[in-house]
Amino acid sequence: MTLHIVSKSPGYSNALMDCADSFVEGDILLLIEDGVYALSSLPENIPVQAVHYLKADVNARGIVVTMEYQGIDDTRWVELCCQQNPVVSWFK
Amino acid sequence: MSAKPRGQLVQVMQKLQLQNRQIPVDKEGFLCHLDDWSPQVAQQLASAEGIELTAAHWQIITMLRDFYCQFELSPAMRPLVKYISSQLGPEKGRSIYLLQLFPPSPARIASKIAGLPKPTNCL
Amino acid sequence: MSKSILALCRRPPYGDALAREGLEAVLAAAAMEQAPVLLFMHDGVFQLLKDQNAKSIEQKSVRRNLEALSIFGIDKLYVCQHSLEKRNLNCGQLRLPGIAIELIADPGRFIAAFDSVLSF
Repeated sequence: MTLHIVSKSPGYSNALMDCADSFVEGDILLLIEDGVYALSSLPENIPVQAVHYLKADVNARGIVVTMEYQGIDDTRWVELCCQQNPVVSWFK
Repeated sequence: MSAKPRGQLVQVMQKLQLQNRQIPVDKEGFLCHLDDWSPQVAQQLASAEGIELTAAHWQIITMLRDFYCQFELSPAMRPLVKYISSQLGPEKGRSIYLLQLFPPSPARIASKIAGLPKPTNCL
Repeated sequence: MSKSILALCRRPPYGDALAREGLEAVLAAAAMEQAPVLLFMHDGVFQLLKDQNAKSIEQKSVRRNLEALSIFGIDKLYVCQHSLEKRNLNCGQLRLPGIAIELIADPGRFIAAFDSVLSF
C-alpha cells in the first residue's frame, strides 16, 4: 500500500487535505518537517494507527502529541519506504 | 528553458557574422534570440556545421519550425522521427534519412539550423 | 517487466516552476520510450485548460507542450474527476487533439497500482 509523506502545515498548504483525498485503507501517512503541525487536526478519514511522524521534527518544534500516533526516527522512515509501495510525496 | 531571451542569463560566446550585422549565439552555436533567425542565418548556421542546405534540408527545417510554432518545444530524436513520418511519410520519417541530412545528431543540428532552442533532453 | 511509473501533476501551470519541470521530466522519459502515466489532480487540472495565452505573461504555454504528448507516444491522460468537479470544470474544457482523457473517481486506488510515483 501507499506511503504518503506530507511536509507542509495545513495552515500553509492544502497538501494534507489533497493527500487525504487519495488515502486508502491500509495506507500509511508520515508527517515530516512542518507537516507535523497537522498532528492536532488530522482529517477524519485517516485512522489513528496509520499516522506516523518524525520525532525529531516534533521535538524541534515543541509540539505535544496527545494521540497514539507513531513517532519514528530516520531508520524507521527508510524501513517504511522499503516496505510500502508506492511512496507519494505531497510537498506543496 | 524559456523561449524568451533572458539577456543577463544568456551567455554570448560567439557571434555569427552576416553581411552587415552580427548575431549572437551561445557556446554550442544555438541562436541566443530566436527572433534573429532568417533563411540567411540558417545558411550561416549550416555552413558552421559543414552542411550545405538543399531542398531536402529546407523541407525538414520548415517542418521543425512548424513543430515549434505549434508545440513551443524542440523535439528530441524519437518524436522528431515520428512527426516527420506523420507529415512527410515513412520514407523521410526515418533516423537514417535525417542522419544523412543533419549529421551527426539530427534533432540537435536541425534544431540549431532552424533557429530553435536545443531539444529538451537531447543528450 | 519494467517498473510502472506515475507522474502526479498537482500544480497549476504558471505560479511556480513545478508544472513545467514535471512536464519536461515526462517528455525526457517519453523521448527514451519510458513514458510515465500522467494523472492530473487538484490544481494540476488547470494545466489542461484550453486557450492559454502564456505569452501575455512572457512564458511558454504548458498547454501547447501537452498537445505534443501524442507525438511523444502518450495518447491518454488521466484526470481526477473530483478535482474537476470541485473547480467547476468539465472534460470539454480540457480536450486535447489526439489524446484521450479518462476520469478517475478513486485516485487512491489508482495511485496504489504503480511501482513509483513522481510528484510535480
